[in-house]
Amino acid sequence: MRLTTRFQLAMAVVAAGVLLAPAAQAVPSFSRQTGMACAACHTVFPELTHFGRVFKANGYVLDNLQQVRAVSSTRQQLLSLSKTPTLSVMMQTSYSQLSKAKPDPAGGNAQNGTVEFPRQLSLFYAGRIAPHLGIFSQLTYDGKADHLSIDNTDVRFAKLAVLPGKNTLTYGLSLNNNPTVQDLWNTTPAWGYPFSHSNVAVSGTPIGPADVQIDEAFGQLVAGLTAYAFYDESLYVEFGGYRSFQPGAVAPLDSSDSSVLAGFSPYWRLAYEYDWNANALEVGTYGEDFHVYPGGGAPLTGPTSTYLDVAGDFQFQHVGEENIYTVAGTYIHENMHAMPAGAANPSDNLAVTKLWASYYYRRRYGGIIGWFNTSGSSDSGLYGFSCPVGSATQYCAAHALKSSVTNSPDSNGEIIEADYLPWLNVKLSAQYVIFNKFMGGNGNYDGYGRSASDNNVLQLMLWYAF
Amino acid sequence: MRINSLKVWLHRGLLAAAGAALTFGSLPSGAQGAPTPPQQAPELAVGVCGTCHGVDGNSINPMFPRLAGQKAWYIEQQLKEFRAETRGDPYAVAYMWGMANDLSNATIVALAKYFSSQTPGPGTPHPAAVIDRGRNIYEHGIPSQGVPACAACHGPEALGSSQFPRLAGQHAEYIMKQLQSFQSNMRNVAIMHGVAQTLHTSQMRAVADYLESLP
Repeated sequence: MRLTTRFQLAMAVVAAGVLLAPAAQAVPSFSRQTGMACAACHTVFPELTHFGRVFKANGYVLDNLQQVRAVSSTRQQLLSLSKTPTLSVMMQTSYSQLSKAKPDPAGGNAQNGTVEFPRQLSLFYAGRIAPHLGIFSQLTYDGKADHLSIDNTDVRFAKLAVLPGKNTLTYGLSLNNNPTVQDLWNTTPAWGYPFSHSNVAVSGTPIGPADVQIDEAFGQLVAGLTAYAFYDESLYVEFGGYRSFQPGAVAPLDSSDSSVLAGFSPYWRLAYEYDWNANALEVGTYGEDFHVYPGGGAPLTGPTSTYLDVAGDFQFQHVGEENIYTVAGTYIHENMHAMPAGAANPSDNLAVTKLWASYYYRRRYGGIIGWFNTSGSSDSGLYGFSCPVGSATQYCAAHALKSSVTNSPDSNGEIIEADYLPWLNVKLSAQYVIFNKFMGGNGNYDGYGRSASDNNVLQLMLWYAF
Repeated sequence: MRINSLKVWLHRGLLAAAGAALTFGSLPSGAQGAPTPPQQAPELAVGVCGTCHGVDGNSINPMFPRLAGQKAWYIEQQLKEFRAETRGDPYAVAYMWGMANDLSNATIVALAKYFSSQTPGPGTPHPAAVIDRGRNIYEHGIPSQGVPACAACHGPEALGSSQFPRLAGQHAEYIMKQLQSFQSNMRNVAIMHGVAQTLHTSQMRAVADYLESLP
């Protein structure tokens, strides 16, 4: 069997990103540091409130712990270190069931009904390091990958200025390893919807198999430095660049490495938030320009595949004491010139839309409904599949699950989630993902008789952090 | 956000003294025994308290009370109650117990002076019928229910006194929550428990809207 090399190359980045970028979390260590309950920064974790956004923009440093101090003879502060380390632990345990079991390459079907214990286990150090310097860092054991790895990391230096007159200006730098992990709103990919998804989903992602690069493809595979300014807690501007980092790879990177970015990929973000009463409305844009070497032995001086991702987003939040609701969405458009990475066409495009609405009563009962749509150019190189002559049909069917018989990346569907939080840091959820279209089709999308709805997946999850 | 920049600068010196004792790490708290440099002091109220209460004490979100123009003694008293974990309404527990647990007396005094000297914003308009009903309750009480006139203690214009807090311009939603907390005794204040005991929700709402409309 030969899954087309072109397809492998095109999806490698996505797969790596998905494996290495597990779902987002909220961290009780911030509660320990500030003395405030989760509800100050979160509606229901991991979604941030306005205060949570300001806390993040200010570098995670708001603190009322006792400090170990050092001071020079000129009264310069040399050390201000929390006496209590701001640690926390997060664990997800899940049970997932597909609408129809995956075919087993050896015949029959794989087992349906998958327990993951843990789905994910993370250790965080998240809090203040020094005055104006804070960190959100995460070490994750991923049950599916069966290894411990560096997860989302965001080191921030931030300062606050009161401008003459009346307004505030927060400005700073973020050193991070996942584009958008430093963002303040839950509309961008790293902390965006859906906040968790089943590991056994056929697509490997919460939406269809085809996804844009900025949607986690380079999570933990880059190091980025961005500079930002947040004016009057309303207008947010950020600009920076990302360069490839490959965990486990021999440095410097060379032709043996895949998915290597050429130079620095520029990243930008512009957002405006208007707050009134208990409401917050945000509209914004973000994006990144990726130039990727094809890998597979090709030298890192040759042609690159280019992916220009340009996105818009919005978020409306109402954070009342009893009723909390959010309506949000993002649209990400990608222009690809993906020839070196295996595209059949000289250029393609791909667009991902996600819209969702959540409601919670007293932060205890609630849920989320969402809609997603992926659409783009048909490309046999990126989305098609050809089974090697002589292979058993069952074998081919098992390997064509993420491919399209019409060479289309189009997928769409809905996500319904019900949540119960007995405590602010413990969430029980039931999530059902419905695919109306999967890789271009409803019935027999893969050419081996599988329907989009066969990939519907139910996930029951216990998610807690302490 | 509205803030009088001159006042911010005037309060720098005041806040500088407070800064030395404050342990908020994000702030330029000086090493022990070393006063905070005066030029950094406004960050204290602005960078921490102001995040929720507004840099000039005129908060936007009704979850967080407006502090601009509030009586200094009252802000001091409340901060000490948060610190002692004796004020038990839900937001006090979730937000302020943690925020206040390490504040020194000097810091509390400085913060109270800062916010009490900020200029309150204009009132928020409400329909005339609601205002009239609220004003009537505020000025005359509800004798049939044993509710005394609010104005008797909080003053005819709800500006407060040396013994009672200012209510004018406060978020209606916040006043509602407090009256309900007094009623349920989650916020344990004997005199207000007595006053609020028989108030119906619609009566609370009318008074709260009236108070929010005052400058």
